[in-house]
Amino acid sequence: MTEIELKNVSYVYSLDTPFMKTALDDVSLTIHGGVITGLMGHTGSGKSTLVQLLNGLNKPTSGQVFVGGEDIWADPKQVRKFAFKVGLVFQYPEYQLFEETVRKDIAFGPTNMELDESEIKRRVEESAEFCGIAPSLLEKSPFDLSGGQKRRVAIAGVMAMEPEVLVLDEPAAGLDPRGREEILGGIRDYQRRRGSSVVIVSHSMEDMARYSDEIIVMSHAKVYMQGTTAEIFERADELCAVGLSVPQITELMNTLRDRGLDVRRGIYTVDDAKAELLRLISAKRGAK
Amino acid sequence: MKDPFIKIENLTFAYTDEENGRNEVLKNLNLEIERGSLVAILGHNGSGKSTLAKLLNLILIPQSGKITIDGLDITSPDLTEEQLFENRRNIGMVFQNPDNQLVATIVEEDIAFGPENLGIEPKEIRKRVDDALATVGMTEFARHSPHQLSGGQKQRIAIAGIIAMMPKCIIFDESTAMLDPKGRREVMDTIIRLNREFGITILHITHYMNEAAQCDRVVVINEGEIELDGKPKDVFTHVEQLQKIGLDVPQTAELLYELNCAGIKNNGKPLPLGRLSVDECANEIMSLMESL
Repeated sequence: MTEIELKNVSYVYSLDTPFMKTALDDVSLTIHGGVITGLMGHTGSGKSTLVQLLNGLNKPTSGQVFVGGEDIWADPKQVRKFAFKVGLVFQYPEYQLFEETVRKDIAFGPTNMELDESEIKRRVEESAEFCGIAPSLLEKSPFDLSGGQKRRVAIAGVMAMEPEVLVLDEPAAGLDPRGREEILGGIRDYQRRRGSSVVIVSHSMEDMARYSDEIIVMSHAKVYMQGTTAEIFERADELCAVGLSVPQITELMNTLRDRGLDVRRGIYTVDDAKAELLRLISAKRGAK
Repeated sequence: MKDPFIKIENLTFAYTDEENGRNEVLKNLNLEIERGSLVAILGHNGSGKSTLAKLLNLILIPQSGKITIDGLDITSPDLTEEQLFENRRNIGMVFQNPDNQLVATIVEEDIAFGPENLGIEPKEIRKRVDDALATVGMTEFARHSPHQLSGGQKQRIAIAGIIAMMPKCIIFDESTAMLDPKGRREVMDTIIRLNREFGITILHITHYMNEAAQCDRVVVINEGEIELDGKPKDVFTHVEQLQKIGLDVPQTAELLYELNCAGIKNNGKPLPLGRLSVDECANEIMSLMESL
């Protein structure tokens, strides 16, 4: 279970020009291994910049990035190996498909890792399954698929490299509720079965609440909060102060508490809310 | 309907390509949109929502059926070029990605782009740009560069660019999909204001059920046909039907539905699902607790 650690990391765009902009300002944080970490923050808070530092795609202006305890820039010639350890799925990855068939597209990463053919086949089929891509689609052209299917092929392509850490930038953006559930549910199955570490960037509080174990909140180039999902969504006022929000169900539970109902804090899914209300109802009936 | 701004009759549209042949996206669709109303259009990816939007300002041409907009039959073979442009000017569109919709390097120049192309007098353009900026609450950013703005701010500039052309109707095609929660709120507040204060007819295509709950009417499209149509508080009572076609309901309605499934009753009656806002839902639950 690979951890990622950032120590005093800063990243400055267009350094020493009039357009200089600090995207990350002395950020220190740990992304824990073996869990799904949600990364959220307003537009321009530094999320995407942060994500691009995790596998050595960009080099921090100052500070260090550790993957599994190793400083990835200790020997810049070796940094490429971290691109295999930390797999990055960009926003709208469906625009990056290019192969003749779905199978070849998913196999592109593993083929570049120079794995043998049977291993590539296993990985392609396994990651296609995680992403809900039917075997019958594997021999089709990726360009004949729907938008949601293309997105899943692109994600499967990164999963097939079996990275120790899988990082996805807005994997469900623009999809309908079922499409979101298929993609995020598939990522969670993958994480639970492989025990690897996953980072998901998202603007949807409801999705973050449902799928994250832990959450990091960024604001104005700094880490604003970090904690378990329940801990973060308990702090509704602070989230609203930086342009975020809490799921509607959490807002409802807070309103009920304000009106004198004794509901517990830290409820952020409909299932938990239902269980809590049923508990209160039966307690009240029992008291009679 | 008293005064339909848009009237769609027996509309059919199919995409065709060599490999897959004919793919019918809209099937004999009938729909009327009242002048000055705020209507949410819901449907899963590929259900035909965006195709419908593109047909309304003739980016796409229907194979059969009739579309009347503001009294003009835009599907008529006798439609003049002038009428076509008039229709495009009447129906503004705001798309998903704000970065694809901004053309100039200064905010006010970007907003002036549309009216300039309509050949409007410079003095009038100045006034329209200033008014549009005030309407979306971005006056202080008039001389900023758009790329330094947040997603919600950029999208409001894109909206201002449309307002400056003074359309009678604006179609928002998933215009909130890429925004953070604050940006979504800003854009949604702007949409509601344009409708309430300026009487602009609005079609809001979205995957966010909470946004649909704030509209006057919700039309659900599935496989090219209308699946549900009504007030949000009525449409969102069809929890199972919506989930079956890949959609969802606001979490408030989902919770009340789940409590009903668990057999909870308020004075012998199941909980009403149409309590969509947090306050309405909280009232319902407080009343339930008091009834025990």
